[in-house]
Amino acid sequence: MEDKWQYLLVLGGCLLITLPLELFGQGVYRQPRRLLCALLPVLVVFLAWDAIAIAAEVWTYNPRYISGVNVPFMPLEELLFFIVIPLCALLTYSAVNAVLGILRDRPNRTVGESRR
Amino acid sequence: MIGYTLPTVLSVIAVAVLELAVLRTGLFRKPAYWISMVIVLGFQIPVDGWLTKLSAPIVIYNEEHSSGLRFPWDIPVEDFLFGWALVTAVLLLWVKQGQPRSPADPGGRR
Repeated sequence: MEDKWQYLLVLGGCLLITLPLELFGQGVYRQPRRLLCALLPVLVVFLAWDAIAIAAEVWTYNPRYISGVNVPFMPLEELLFFIVIPLCALLTYSAVNAVLGILRDRPNRTVGESRR
Repeated sequence: MIGYTLPTVLSVIAVAVLELAVLRTGLFRKPAYWISMVIVLGFQIPVDGWLTKLSAPIVIYNEEHSSGLRFPWDIPVEDFLFGWALVTAVLLLWVKQGQPRSPADPGGRR
């Protein structure tokens, strides 16, 4: 495997590992509108921050480990990072919420959150 | 430290203010959020550790702009603040949309 796919493979691995979490509860990918509305505003802010940091050389990317495909201001991988990582977090939260909900609704409540 | 440390600290403050003063979703009071943050942190360490390892870094930091503190492995500590702000901001907007619009709603029904 060529080194230049490393960053993309890391991101792909993140998506793959979190994919089964979609099965819990209402999922994330199944609510595309809600997903877009949560992701887009944050994406805009962080991409602007990232573009400035790259322009100011606060951080750079090792050309050996990236595909070489560029989107404006940054490597493709960096844009994908800001989509993939929040997706993983949303899937995690959605699944944890679903599991806690199942535990809470069982007759013998093991995870006891007192109902208000 | 101007280029990375300062903006990460500001981003954490901004996200906290966004929740506490504007969105008021109650996310910080939900056990599911903190459990998720522990899980996210558990995965951030290997992923971020791989991206930042000094032996073969994918992302290279200009140390003039950061504190220079790297832990664990070679992860700049600022990355954890950056990551927290990124995922918490998205979670806040996600949770906000799942809540009833009406301010008259008593909330806390779950």
